[in-house]
Amino acid sequence: MSVGYVTVQWNRHKRVYDSLVGGGVALYLALFIIAGKTLYTGAHAISDEILAIRALGTCAYLMLHVVLCTGPLARLDRRFLPLLYNRRHLGVATFLVALAHATIAIGFYHGFGNVNPFISLLTSNVNLGSLSAFPFQLLGLAALLILFLMAATSHDFWLKNLGAPAWKRLHMVVYLAYALLVLHVALGILQTQRSPWLAGLVGAGVVIVAGLHVVAGLRERGHDRRGAQRTARVNGPWVDVGCVDDVPDRRGMTATVGGGERIALFRYDGCISATTNVCAHQGGPLGEGRIIDGCVTCPWHGWQYRPGDGQSPPPFTERIATHRVRVVGRRIQVDPTPLAPGTAVTPARIEEDHHG
Amino acid sequence: MADAAEFYVGYLRMPTRLAAFLRWVAAGLLLATAAIGWSLSRSQNDPGDGVWQDGLQTFVGRVAAAPYPLIRVPSDRPGKPIETILLVSQGKHGAAERIAGLDGRIARVRGTILERDGVRLLELTESGAAALDESLGPVEQARLATPSVAPLGTVTFYGEIIDPKCYSGAMKPGEGKTHKACATLCIAGGIPPMFVAFDAAGRRSVYLLTDPHGRALDDRILPYVADPVEIIAALERCDDLYVLRLDPECIRRR
Ligand code: HEM
Ligand code: FES
Repeated sequence: MSVGYVTVQWNRHKRVYDSLVGGGVALYLALFIIAGKTLYTGAHAISDEILAIRALGTCAYLMLHVVLCTGPLARLDRRFLPLLYNRRHLGVATFLVALAHATIAIGFYHGFGNVNPFISLLTSNVNLGSLSAFPFQLLGLAALLILFLMAATSHDFWLKNLGAPAWKRLHMVVYLAYALLVLHVALGILQTQRSPWLAGLVGAGVVIVAGLHVVAGLRERGHDRRGAQRTARVNGPWVDVGCVDDVPDRRGMTATVGGGERIALFRYDGCISATTNVCAHQGGPLGEGRIIDGCVTCPWHGWQYRPGDGQSPPPFTERIATHRVRVVGRRIQVDPTPLAPGTAVTPARIEEDHHG
Repeated sequence: MADAAEFYVGYLRMPTRLAAFLRWVAAGLLLATAAIGWSLSRSQNDPGDGVWQDGLQTFVGRVAAAPYPLIRVPSDRPGKPIETILLVSQGKHGAAERIAGLDGRIARVRGTILERDGVRLLELTESGAAALDESLGPVEQARLATPSVAPLGTVTFYGEIIDPKCYSGAMKPGEGKTHKACATLCIAGGIPPMFVAFDAAGRRSVYLLTDPHGRALDDRILPYVADPVEIIAALERCDDLYVLRLDPECIRRR
């Protein structure tokens, strides 16, 4: 959280994660290059530079798939959340591998001539009207610039300064980068590749990325639709959102009220509190979090807030919106209108005499 | 939804069941990474058998500056008394300036050979690559006096405009879509354009490209370099070299 910005706050999990990323990249590049060197020899040897361009390009492309799949995977199965926790490191690594790919490609294919390599990159091919002749390098360049923007703004410093919603919107552009790269490959190497294997993998990648997002999205839509129906049982400002027994002790629950807004409910110390479901950090789903040390703890990166007033415990200063809540019998009712972030709300007592 | 014991926060200890699950995920990802890396590398196209030979070689013969820098040398290959070797310079540069003053003269050139599909190119060395030479006997000089040219009629070919330097071994592969930008630079830089034609059975043959008057082609061919194209051109044999006289208007992208 916001106790001054260090470059990256390290812990053991991040180190394990990063060494896995580094090891995976090294393993991939080594195998690609060793295979290229042993399978294509003598007069049929492939240029070292071209092997490197291909190894790095396909590696970055693969890494981008992992980046894009961890989001929906974690929404479908919480056990994947730790992959999300450090995803930004994977994103930055993807940019660096792609940068190496682009640097060698520009140097080798656009260098050694009587035109500046960058001018050549932009002007050597202007067949924008033809698919088979399309300058696929420009698509790669656009994607690389987007990946750079993501990597450069990945730190919490930018998150804080842009605000979480703007930051999230900015980082959605990664899907545009992915689309550009599918075309970069389809209009580039796939125009000459005789083996169908790469084309098959590219197609499978698109299906997996799109499929996971659709499935995770449908699941959330279903949840929201059930929530929207709740508005029907309105009683003054109060909306019934469920039974106290639906909320396990020291756990959260997500309720969607009319308009699709999500509210997180927490049960602890015989009380129910309600806050927004949206974490002030990157919008993580607080309702899927837990109460740890008396604080609502976000499942994504562990930011904490006091359930009674939505404020982070000192020395932190983050605040989230709270909601008025009451318990009638065993039913929980909330006021869907959010209160200003950090507003204290009396937690609703659960009347224990109803038990047993 | 996962068990409560599997709640993970980066700064707390990882629950053991979750750690075991993640170890499997990591192992699976690494295995997939390795398999994809190897199989993608294996699925690359054969880059062809062009060879850029090691070591300097010297040739003595008659140099010509047009249509492109080349040298015609006596050859002892059967049915091929004269061999035409295209001359190029370092990087993506033609050799026009390197042979200035030698057009039509008997000279000695030094460099490294690139060879594919029966066509040879010489990349001139950095310095002292070309100079007049009087060592050739009068009989051989007479043999090299003028090229023997035989028109072979109009042809329609399907194939690709290549830069013969990369195609013949400077880059492997040195043809096709991914190589388009490089081939465009090479040809714009003075490397003579050639055409690789594919017949119905997929067999390749290569031709030097000139304009309809037998002179060097201009920039109008550049947008078509490395694209799959169909051309209509006048074919002729010039000593051992096959030449296509091509009007850039007669190139159609396929
Ligand atoms: C300025 C930016 C870029 C340039 C100039 C560029 C250039 C190229 C070139 C010339 C090729 C064909 C290589 C060959 O097979 O001979 C290629 C292929 C490829 N590029 Fe890029 N690229 C750029 C950015 C990217 C980025 C950002 C990514 C992914 C994150 C990427 C992924 C790939 C992939 C997967 C291939 C296919 C690999 C193959 O050729 O076998 N490229 N790129
Ligand atoms: S989104 Fe990062 S801690 Fe909540």
